[in-house]
Amino acid sequence: MGSTATLGAFVSIDLMGFWTACVVIRMSVQLRNNVNVMGDGPATLVFAHGFGCDQNMWRFMAPLFAERYRVVLFDMVGNGQSEIHAWFKRKYDSLDGYASDLLEIVKEFAGPGPVIHVGHSVSAMIGALADLKEPGHFAAHVMIGPSPCYINDGDYIGGFTRQDIESLLEALDSNYLGWSGNIAPVIMGAPEQPELGQELTDSFCRADPEIAKQFARVTFMSDHRQDIQRLATKTLILQCSDDLIAPVQVGDFLHRAIAGSTLRQIENVGHCPHMSAPGACIDAIDQFLADSGVVALVK
Amino acid sequence: MSNDGDALPGSDELIENAPCALLLTLDDGTIKRVNQTFCQWLGMPREALLGRRFQDLLSMGGKLFHQTHCLTLLQMRGSVSEVKLDLLRQDGSTVSMIFNAVRRQTPQGYRQELALFGAQERTTYERELTASQKMAEELLLQQLASQKELSSAQNRLRLAQTEADIRATFAEQMVGFVSHDLRNPLAAIKMAAGLIGLDPLSERQQRSLGHVMVSVERAQRLIVNLLDFTQARVGRGITVLAQAIDLHKVIGACVEELRLMFPERTLIHRTVGEGACSADADRLFELVENLVSNAVAYGAADSDIVVTSAFEAQWIKVSVHNHGAPIAQNLLGSLFEPMLFGVADDNDAHTVGLGLFIVREIARAHWGDVSLTSSEKEGTTFVASLARPVV
Repeated sequence: MGSTATLGAFVSIDLMGFWTACVVIRMSVQLRNNVNVMGDGPATLVFAHGFGCDQNMWRFMAPLFAERYRVVLFDMVGNGQSEIHAWFKRKYDSLDGYASDLLEIVKEFAGPGPVIHVGHSVSAMIGALADLKEPGHFAAHVMIGPSPCYINDGDYIGGFTRQDIESLLEALDSNYLGWSGNIAPVIMGAPEQPELGQELTDSFCRADPEIAKQFARVTFMSDHRQDIQRLATKTLILQCSDDLIAPVQVGDFLHRAIAGSTLRQIENVGHCPHMSAPGACIDAIDQFLADSGVVALVK
Repeated sequence: MSNDGDALPGSDELIENAPCALLLTLDDGTIKRVNQTFCQWLGMPREALLGRRFQDLLSMGGKLFHQTHCLTLLQMRGSVSEVKLDLLRQDGSTVSMIFNAVRRQTPQGYRQELALFGAQERTTYERELTASQKMAEELLLQQLASQKELSSAQNRLRLAQTEADIRATFAEQMVGFVSHDLRNPLAAIKMAAGLIGLDPLSERQQRSLGHVMVSVERAQRLIVNLLDFTQARVGRGITVLAQAIDLHKVIGACVEELRLMFPERTLIHRTVGEGACSADADRLFELVENLVSNAVAYGAADSDIVVTSAFEAQWIKVSVHNHGAPIAQNLLGSLFEPMLFGVADDNDAHTVGLGLFIVREIARAHWGDVSLTSSEKEGTTFVASLARPVV
């Protein structure tokens, strides 16, 4: 799994306003996205984290699925322990750059069986975009708290106004002020969570301020309502009952937009049911995989 | 000790009026306990806060940040600290606070304990910092852009200069080639005209033949000048072949010939000092011919033209003087450059304006130079000073 794939990444070094170099680098996908593979089974589940976090957010779900399936975890470039030098603005100024990375991860790390993409929040859209870009790699999508468009537009309710998003960018600005480079703020001890190793907790939710701002802008300004209607792959939408970031109207919209999709509501306050209600999420995913016939329910 | 202890406020009172806001919430953010400080900061009574969710008190940006960063951290590792959030007061205004929280498991489920500190001053200061940083970055970008523009303009200029140089050199080479190739047909015309002159001719034919001969000679002189010019400009410079000569004899012979060429003018030759020196006789002839032709063309028609060959201590000086309108002051600086006419609209100018350039080049080839004085009263004098090598 540590093999090297060619990454046609053009790294530009903008020196004194001149394009002085255009270097093609080869970088391991494994290193770039800090890819981790657990377990094995008849299908591969690729877990993709959302904005503001990293693969650790799957820790309440992934180990359980790893008992029955091949599980692939990764950090999006600029988050967690991904290779920060692989980030450059031109590639990641739309979700498309992240979709390309996802396809490379799937091609290199998926097992021989069907591949199910489990994406949280913005990653649900990235999974759909990757599928549309190169159809055939995904047998199904599980979208947790997805939203194709966060900003209200006419009859469409995304949950936010443009000013709200500007206000988030300001909050990011003021919270990353004074952070140097890739250093997270000092975090008070967690005496009641001894199972979390120090190394793990130190890197959790770590992000370069510039990258975080760009990612927030790309995420919250995106509008993929047109794209999503072309998605023909089997899809499960996990909608929280009370979610600030993806209100129930958005889940309904997606259910209508994606033909043949399944909508399941999870009783949960907040945007991260896979952390606050992992049991309900696991049940819903297992049920979906069995009902849709993507993989037989393996006990 | 115990007396002191009695005088201190109790724990409840300390919490109520602590210099920071303290809250206890359920895991979904529902506020169960809140101290007086927080109520005061938000300008809300306790009853209005109990039962509400903490995140509902945040600005929209704060809500998003709280949801995407703080809650995930609390769930993952049980604590979060030093996050800045904007809260909404009762009157709708916002107040910035530093947010610390711990998430603990209790028999009744998870609880979140929050502590908030005022950060209004810090926020103002940070906004100014951010604005200054942005401005500095913009200025840097502007500067880089103008540097880039400047350097690209310089490159364009250099390119244009090089192109112009190449074109100029090419044009000068062309002049050289054409002048060279014109010599043979001119020689043929001259020879044929000479042969015609051997036959008996009518007076009219004789006159016409004279015109032909004069014109051919003029054309030949012009070609000699052009060839010298191209040699000086694009070749290795004008070459001289210095030989032992008598300066006065050479200049005298030259003046004699020029008298035949300009029979309508009076040419006077003056000599100063001895005459033995080392110089190129043909080039000196060319030099004098050019200066005299100029004097004929631009000097007063009734004025004598005086050619002086003089020996001085270190210099040999050959000068040509004429009376007439002085040379315009603004032309003096560039008079010896090629292609410039003393009198622009004078159609009788005898060359294309290379004469004085060649005079200067001949003088320089003799390690000397040219000078000029011109005034209404004194007339115009061109002086070619040649170095006087030891013979």
